[in-house]
Amino acid sequence: MFRLIVQRVALAALALFLTSLITMAAVEALPSDACAAYLGREIQPAALQKCREKLQLDRPAIERYFIWTRGLLSGDPGVSLNSRRPVGEVLIQRIRNSFLIGGLAALIGIPLAVFLGVYAAIRRERFPDLAISILGIASMALPEFVTATVLVFIFAVSLGWLPAVALISANSTIPQMLPATILPVAVLIVVMVAHVMRVTRTNVIDQLDSEHAEFARLRGVTGWRLLVRHVLPGAVPATIAVCAYTLAWQLAGVVVVERVFNYPGLGSLMVDAINNRDLPLVQTTVLVFTAIFIGTSLLADIAAVLVNPRLRRRSS
Amino acid sequence: MLHQRPWFALSRAGRGIVRPLVLATALAAGLASTGVADAATFRISTDAGFGAATSRDPISPKRDDKVASLVYSRLVRLDEAGKPAPDLATEWTMSDDLTEWTFKLRSGVKFHNGADFTSADVVYSLERILSDKIENAAKSVLSIIDTVDAVDPLTVKIKLKSPFSDLPLLLLDYRIRILSAGTGDLESYNESGIGTGPFQIAEYDPEGTSIFTAFPDYWEGKPGVDEIDVFAIPDQQARVQALLSGQIDWLPQIDRQEAKLFADTSKFKTQTIKTGNWEGLVMLTNTKPYDDVRVRKALRIAVDREAMRDLLVGKDGGTISCDSPVWTGDQYYVDIGPCGQDIEGAKKLLAEAGYPDGIDVELIASDLNPLWTGMAEIYQQQVAPAGIRVTIKQVPSAGYWDTVWMKNPFMTTLWGQRPADQVLNEGYRSTAAWNESKFQSPELDALLDKARSTADFEARKAVYGEIQKLLWEQGGTLVPFHDNVLSVMSTKVEGLQPTISAEVRWHQIRVTE
Repeated sequence: MFRLIVQRVALAALALFLTSLITMAAVEALPSDACAAYLGREIQPAALQKCREKLQLDRPAIERYFIWTRGLLSGDPGVSLNSRRPVGEVLIQRIRNSFLIGGLAALIGIPLAVFLGVYAAIRRERFPDLAISILGIASMALPEFVTATVLVFIFAVSLGWLPAVALISANSTIPQMLPATILPVAVLIVVMVAHVMRVTRTNVIDQLDSEHAEFARLRGVTGWRLLVRHVLPGAVPATIAVCAYTLAWQLAGVVVVERVFNYPGLGSLMVDAINNRDLPLVQTTVLVFTAIFIGTSLLADIAAVLVNPRLRRRSS
Repeated sequence: MLHQRPWFALSRAGRGIVRPLVLATALAAGLASTGVADAATFRISTDAGFGAATSRDPISPKRDDKVASLVYSRLVRLDEAGKPAPDLATEWTMSDDLTEWTFKLRSGVKFHNGADFTSADVVYSLERILSDKIENAAKSVLSIIDTVDAVDPLTVKIKLKSPFSDLPLLLLDYRIRILSAGTGDLESYNESGIGTGPFQIAEYDPEGTSIFTAFPDYWEGKPGVDEIDVFAIPDQQARVQALLSGQIDWLPQIDRQEAKLFADTSKFKTQTIKTGNWEGLVMLTNTKPYDDVRVRKALRIAVDREAMRDLLVGKDGGTISCDSPVWTGDQYYVDIGPCGQDIEGAKKLLAEAGYPDGIDVELIASDLNPLWTGMAEIYQQQVAPAGIRVTIKQVPSAGYWDTVWMKNPFMTTLWGQRPADQVLNEGYRSTAAWNESKFQSPELDALLDKARSTADFEARKAVYGEIQKLLWEQGGTLVPFHDNVLSVMSTKVEGLQPTISAEVRWHQIRVTE
């Protein structure tokens, strides 16, 4: 167990390092740089030269990468090329905002999805299962921005109950932000519920059909007892894994949803940073995303091991 | 209006994730709800193109155009006839040799901090633009100015390096605003936000919500609304949704397809605004085969401008131009048309130039502007019968101005509205930094100088007419039409005249319930 965690953390560090290299290469490969993006058509050779010197863009990419890495390791991810504000300061508010919608969505979405999945499984091939499955497939098939537009149209434009877009500042207080989070959270839930629900349903059905459950039934165990004692323990590890991957995968959804709803989170920050060729900001944001992704997967693996004794034994 | 794109133009940070869907909901848009609005507040959006780095200084490259026009005034403004009208300057006279201008200033004008407006503020505001220490593109507009002196508290004398009969036209530039002399120096940008304009800054957050409150001592009278709220919404589709749901009251520019969303006349009204903005194609006149004037003309007269406009933006979407950057609303516009499609003429010119079997050209386009790709494709189809075989090369929009523009022989371009003198001197004079067609014509340069040094208006207008004809005969720039911009506002909004954003008379706006 311990060895597994150490191994995984080491791999995570390697992945983060490689990601930062790839990010740098990708941003460098894009046409234009922070100065050209900033000056636009007002670009003049002298002004461009001055700007590049000021932002140290005249230095080789590798050198700038090592300056950034060195800063990061000592806890300072540098200064945004666009706003000249410390990257850490910019990120903190945005991380808070993204976690607010991501967290609310997970908090509501995962229990809801597990409940629906289990319910669909035990009512398999009857009306509740069919209804839940069809709705689930539909909401999985719809991209976030479609769901978002439909919800905005119903709840903001037609009914006027909720704001269509978030008109808040990055440093607004959480109570100020809550009304603006309802629709983004709803969109994330719709997408997330479908995935987790489908997997939960499949896993529960597998377990219901397993020899283990059959045996329990033969011993006279039925109803809730069968479900809780014999079916769910088998279905939980795979479900946890899918929850974690869905959460991680939801990061991409967060980017789209934040853009559509004008929500000042990590995702919209990254889109702007890329457009501005703001390398330190892009690097750090991507690193945060990667860390969340890897961290969630790691937790999922550990949790799966903890709840499933068979895995525990095999790994040690 | 020198900046490459008006602030109401496209969001810099990627547009339209949700465009198709918004359009798909167009049919049902009549259901749009009324939002809750404070009657005395006018709510608008900004594309927040510069994010947290946005400057309050109107000459900074990262200026906030809302701040520039809400907070600051100019010496002169543009009137409906396309001429300079008094603003902070009440009248002006020039010396006989056109090199010395005297401006009388308005008395009793106050800055937001209570200071009186005087000639010292004008001297400071113009000298800071001319300062070598402060990097700004308005400098090139005023490069003709030699010295600015305060004669008395309400008189300013401007000496020019060469004669110029239309100096007030240059002072119309939307960046050339009057700041308070006590709030800054000639070394760095001025972030004070203290002006003489109708609104003052109460809260400023270029990435969130900025609040501007009415300035009670504004010289034209107390503004019609108590407050203007500006919300940062980088995505155009999000802005459309905000207006549909009543979160904002006005969008200065929407796409034609989006107009259907605002069809409910009980909630929205649209305005068509004629502007001098244009999108076009430009050839480098010093590069083969475009160095031959016959080839250039053939490539331009083979176009059916009307059909191109109708296809791209619809009949009401633009005003036909015969390759003149001077727009119909300009006092020096001369109608040199008609300029219909002339396939035979184009063939003849190409044959004379040594291309009897037609010519192959490569045209660079990108999606930086939403019209460019369509324009290139329509061009390709329209000129084919004249034997002009166009290959379109699509390039990324990122870095277009840096790596593509003025570096390729035939490419897409766009310009914002400018007065005749400014657009011609900036875009066509042989020495101009933005002479994008590398047009080298001593004849044109001489005519531009002649226009500047002609005191009589009608005689000057005749010179500008000659210039427009010269560009039609020899130029390397195709200007098919000038844009009509579609603006939408809530029916609650009154007093907003159909004008480009830099000329909005903010104090006249009213919001009723």
